[in-house]
Amino acid sequence: MLLPWEYGVRNLARRPIHSGLTLFALTTVTLLIFVVVGFIRGLERSLAVSGDPNVMLVYSLTSEENIENSSISAQIPDLLAASLSATVKHFGITHHSPELYLGSRVTTADQSPGLGLVRGVTPTAPLVRRTVRMTEGTWPQPGEVMVGRLAATKLGVPTEVLKIGNQIEMEGQAWQISGTFAAEGASFESEIWCDLSDLQTATKRQDLSLVAMLLKDRTASSEVDLFCMERKDLELRAVRESEYYQTLQQHYRPVRILGWLIVGLVATAGIFAGLNLMYGALAGRIRELAMLQVLGYKRVAILVSVVQEGLVLASAASLIAGTFAVCWINGLTVRFTMGAFALRIDSLAILSGCAVGLLLGILGALPPALKALHASVAINLKAV
Amino acid sequence: MALVELQNVSKQFTKGEQTITPLDHIDLHIAEGEFVSLMGPSGSGKSTLLNLVSGIDRPDSGSIVVNGTDISQLSRGKLADWRAKNLGYIFQTHNLIPVLTAYENIELPTLLLKQTAQERQRRVQLAMEAVGLSDRADHYPRQLSGGQEQRVGIARAIVTHPKIVVADEPTGSLDVNTSQQIQVLLQRLNQQLGITMLMVTHDTEVASIASRQLRLDQGKFVDERSSTSTFCEGGQSDA
Ligand SMILES: Nc1ncnc2c1ncn2[C@@H]1O[C@H](COP(=O)(O)OP(=O)(O)O)[C@@H](O)[C@H]1O
Ligand SMILES: [Mg+2]
Repeated sequence: MLLPWEYGVRNLARRPIHSGLTLFALTTVTLLIFVVVGFIRGLERSLAVSGDPNVMLVYSLTSEENIENSSISAQIPDLLAASLSATVKHFGITHHSPELYLGSRVTTADQSPGLGLVRGVTPTAPLVRRTVRMTEGTWPQPGEVMVGRLAATKLGVPTEVLKIGNQIEMEGQAWQISGTFAAEGASFESEIWCDLSDLQTATKRQDLSLVAMLLKDRTASSEVDLFCMERKDLELRAVRESEYYQTLQQHYRPVRILGWLIVGLVATAGIFAGLNLMYGALAGRIRELAMLQVLGYKRVAILVSVVQEGLVLASAASLIAGTFAVCWINGLTVRFTMGAFALRIDSLAILSGCAVGLLLGILGALPPALKALHASVAINLKAV
Repeated sequence: MALVELQNVSKQFTKGEQTITPLDHIDLHIAEGEFVSLMGPSGSGKSTLLNLVSGIDRPDSGSIVVNGTDISQLSRGKLADWRAKNLGYIFQTHNLIPVLTAYENIELPTLLLKQTAQERQRRVQLAMEAVGLSDRADHYPRQLSGGQEQRVGIARAIVTHPKIVVADEPTGSLDVNTSQQIQVLLQRLNQQLGITMLMVTHDTEVASIASRQLRLDQGKFVDERSSTSTFCEGGQSDA
């Protein structure tokens, strides 16, 4: 038989300040865990959704893995279109997107310069970059740009600075913002897009960084691979976009490991907060717990009740932290080297945050309870 | 056969080099309905004996049979169940749970018995009436006087209708007036409700309310006096 539930709950009110402080500590710990897991999940998602398995990227062999360093001839897209049957073609339009991609100093209306990611594109870009949707305004005409949902975060400026109609300065030229776009969390969201030839003129370049192609099906990639291998003179490499971002994920492995490490450390700290509460709470209750055993309550029942106490507090902490995380932390944007992404409090984040929170309550309560129940009832009855 | 039969019971404690023998081959028989008081110098083993009869502690040798069950042979879990059904324990410092009301404190042991909520409520109310505290059901221990707290402690000990109620210096921390009220109450519970009691006290006046008085010294019973009972230390006689 278990002890009444009220016993556990009301015991928390015995030392209200102590319980309050512990609740605060547990909430903080759980919240930190939500933030870190949200960070990791946001990063993972931004890289995961960026890779479309049906999209093939063709760029220069010499650029290593960094597309910003790639330079290929402007004739390559036409050459690919003429030589390959793997690319999707509708109504005479080849679904490929020649792009010039570079990092550039961008000065915004509030005069603060930041490093922006700029992509010069043609109107076929959305046919290949299928997650991209215009959210407001119009497609950029010469002298205009459209900005991704997280471009402002990437530049480190408030969102209003990049609203439609405002001017920005880059590559020694003024540009007007004509529209905004989103890309379902993909990394494009932190970029600034403008017309390809416009960007080429501004940067005095005639080349491209890459061509992105939408393949008819996944197996068609071998044809592109073969083409790149046969035409060694062009010095091209072809990579499936999803694989490209998987390599990037590999780069961020240490960051993710560090993140999980922080989760572990913070959780450990939380367990000590829980331990501190329950040791303190039970130290003055040795005789009471012995009395319960005299009445006929078994040690397991008392253990369960004490763990209940820890759990009630931990659940409250998880609830508060979870609500806070979902309402205020979810979607919070973070700047990062490769762009920007939003913290993501998804089901895994909720699950791990709450699991850790509840574990704090259980692990914090068990050792002091076991200690209190270890000695014989006869001896504990004499405790003061 | 007596309700409680201790035969040849010994209990020793070792503290470092020293060995104390608070109970040295003791026999004790308590008949149903008897009220036995136990006196003796401090440290003579009174609480130890009480704890053995209560199944809280185990003897080193000898047998303790209560109501036909040899409780010295029961496992820890079985003992807990046995205590819930058969034992009421009145503490010197009542040991009430401060976060539970008087009613909830008294109800606590009944939760271990298979009873309907109605039966439980009836028993708690009966116990509260028996100790004269029906109007204090919703009070928390801190809202009660020392004597009232002990009454709640007594109600908690009798609420399950146990076979035997033990009390370890039940008036030990009360003033003279309150102590007398508690004595009257205990005597009434024994005489009117027929509750079998074993009570430890160091106060001769308190001891005198019992039907039989035992004195423990140097591990043995000495100077046993009995007002009504035919029992003696050897325990040859039977009810
Ligand atoms: N768990 C224990 N461990 C060691 N010594 C004990 C223990 N319990 C009681 N004693 C010793 O046994 C003797 C009897 O104790 P107790 O029964 O509490 O005496 P009292 O008659 O005052 O109630 C004392 O000397 C006490 O110190
Ligand atoms: Mg004692």
